[in-house]
Amino acid sequence: MLEIKNLTKVYGDGTVALHNVSFDVEPGEFLIIIGLSGSGKSTLLRCINRLIDPTEGQIIWDGVDITAADPQQLRTIRRQIGMVFQHFNLVKRSPVLTNVLSGRLGYVNPWSSVLHRFPPSDRKMAMAALERVGITDQAYKRADELSGGQQQRVGIARALMQQPKMILADEPVASLDPVLAHSILNHLENLNQEEKITVLCSLHYLDLIQRYATRVIGLRGGEIVYRGDRKAIRSMTDEEFKEIYGEEAERVSVGPHDGGVSL
Amino acid sequence: MTMRRTQKEIPPSFVSAPVAGVASLIVPGLGQALARQLWRGLLLLASLATSIGLFLWRVGDLAPHEVGLVAKYLKAFDRRELFVGLFTLGIVILWLGIAWDAYKQVKTDHKGGAGVFFIVLALLFALGWQVGEIDLYKMITEIPDAWGPIQRIAWPWEAAIDRDIEMIVAGAEILSPCDELPPPAAPVEMPDEPYVVADPTCGDLTTREGVTEIPGTQITLIGRNFAPNTETPIYWADPLGNEFRLRSEGAYLSVMTDENGAFEITITMPYRLIPPSSEGRQIHIVEARQIASVGGAHASTELMQCIEGIVESIIMGMMATLFGIVFSIPISFLAARNLMSGSTVTMAVYYATRMVLNIIRSIEPLIWVLVAVMVVGLGPFAGILALTVHSIAALAKLYSESIESIDPGPIEAIHATGATRLQTIMFAVVPQMIPPFVSFSIYRWDINVRMSTVIGLVGGGGIGLVLIQYIRLLDYRSAGIAVWFIAITVAILDYVSAEIRQRFV
Repeated sequence: MLEIKNLTKVYGDGTVALHNVSFDVEPGEFLIIIGLSGSGKSTLLRCINRLIDPTEGQIIWDGVDITAADPQQLRTIRRQIGMVFQHFNLVKRSPVLTNVLSGRLGYVNPWSSVLHRFPPSDRKMAMAALERVGITDQAYKRADELSGGQQQRVGIARALMQQPKMILADEPVASLDPVLAHSILNHLENLNQEEKITVLCSLHYLDLIQRYATRVIGLRGGEIVYRGDRKAIRSMTDEEFKEIYGEEAERVSVGPHDGGVSL
Repeated sequence: MTMRRTQKEIPPSFVSAPVAGVASLIVPGLGQALARQLWRGLLLLASLATSIGLFLWRVGDLAPHEVGLVAKYLKAFDRRELFVGLFTLGIVILWLGIAWDAYKQVKTDHKGGAGVFFIVLALLFALGWQVGEIDLYKMITEIPDAWGPIQRIAWPWEAAIDRDIEMIVAGAEILSPCDELPPPAAPVEMPDEPYVVADPTCGDLTTREGVTEIPGTQITLIGRNFAPNTETPIYWADPLGNEFRLRSEGAYLSVMTDENGAFEITITMPYRLIPPSSEGRQIHIVEARQIASVGGAHASTELMQCIEGIVESIIMGMMATLFGIVFSIPISFLAARNLMSGSTVTMAVYYATRMVLNIIRSIEPLIWVLVAVMVVGLGPFAGILALTVHSIAALAKLYSESIESIDPGPIEAIHATGATRLQTIMFAVVPQMIPPFVSFSIYRWDINVRMSTVIGLVGGGGIGLVLIQYIRLLDYRSAGIAVWFIAITVAILDYVSAEIRQRFV
């Protein structure tokens, strides 16, 4: 479904964010990427839908090379890939419904949507998406009036509107407390199991990883340092986990937060 | 990486404490420099030099005609003993203080206090008092002189109301002197018209012989059908057409009418110097003239002028804001760093735009109005132009800063849905831009209306122009109305703009 071949990203200031990363994603997987802040997780996810242009390597999506796609192709590919963000990235002043509807922008007529006009079927779909994440009653509130957990659910609803084949989740629970973390990941797991949406997610906490992942990739310094299947993860000890995270692992075990935006 | 603030290590002094003290006594600051505290030394030297310089300037002002520093100083001391004496003492104390400070710096290993700087502050304060010509005594003693105008400005509303007035006049003819011919007939008594009957209707004017005055004939006047309960002055008109108010023992003569509009008064025929050519039979006229208000109260001309002025001001502010918004939006894009950081050329445009905006903004609208008046002449248009120029610069800066502080997260998210660039702008950028744009625009409107009230003072039209005219005419009541209008308008705007901004952000 998704093949990543020798992906390298070097930023303008010379930082090597990814170095020769290769892996495949099979349909229906719940693939979790682990690693410290700055290990390249976010860059990797953003390269997949080309929010960031990779320096080298190929990303093959259903046989099409995303790195070489023209704008029209890219648009079509992007709309099949939903994205959920650590800081939700909602338009705070817009109503929840508008935020959810914006997930349809890749499908609707660009000109009529500019005036915030959407077909009735899309509106119905948006309400259904909100119902799915359990916040129908918040549809007409401003996005910033919602709690963090609710905002992330709006984020998921927005991704759902794309009718995606895959969802990229960039540390979706890092800004939430642990109870909400489970709620959000449950939603993602449901989509994964019921809608067969592939999930590619970066995460930090071992217990969450063990609970949800069907496969894990560990990144350190922009390189893959660990690959493990469901069985391997379930039996993973704290020591092994710390090994992936490197010598700074103590900080991970101290608290749930990674302390800011990771790139 | 953050730098930890550490106690800077200062190498030990070059010299011992007493030497540093003496060095600073000879050249202020030298001791500190020798104690490896060059900047402290320079600062103290500069402070002392400034104090002495300013002091000498004041001394020169106090004794402009003396030649030579000593003569000037003595003369100044003569005129302002206390100031010159205390200040001389202050400078000596500062000098000694600097020496003491140098000694202290070495002795306590650079942990010297700020005591010496307090002396500098005290000296500068004393000088400021002198240069600013601060005179609290004058301020307090002259309040009574200004009290009248202040009261009139504080409560000007008597000038806001006018009543239509009507002059009610009726008179009787008096013959001087009496002769054989019949005297003038009494006016016909009419039931509704005011009239005056004189008795007698002829007599002799007051005459003078040397310093003694021979009083004229006494005449009783009876008036009817005047306005009731109104002060009624009595006028005299001689055959030459000269009119004047009659006096009785120096005071103007007037009579109160009763509730029926009637009065009765006895007058003495006045002194008149009649030229010989008109000797003979002379007919004088005695008149009762009443000023009575008729109809209800209505707004005075001044009040109407103030209303027109304030409306003009508000509209000036509004127009300037509208023009400002229209022009500043495109400019703000050029002045937003995040949009212009693409290439060297765009960065050059960015810096150029920023610089021009900063220059325009640093010139007050009061000065822009002078330029505008040169171009379009006095009036509201000049004011609008001045405010517009300043608004464009101010708004472009605020707008560009809000563009710079836009949250990139939503843009990324909308982009990731497969949206086009235009869709991304409409869904992620515009909603973020609206609150600051609205907020800054309303804030600017608030400022512009305030400024437009002031701008009139220098020819920009609006209430300011009305106000300065009244002040120049010493019409403090009308000026007071304008001041009240400005205050009320500004207060309302302040409240409204704060309220709207709060709702939008």
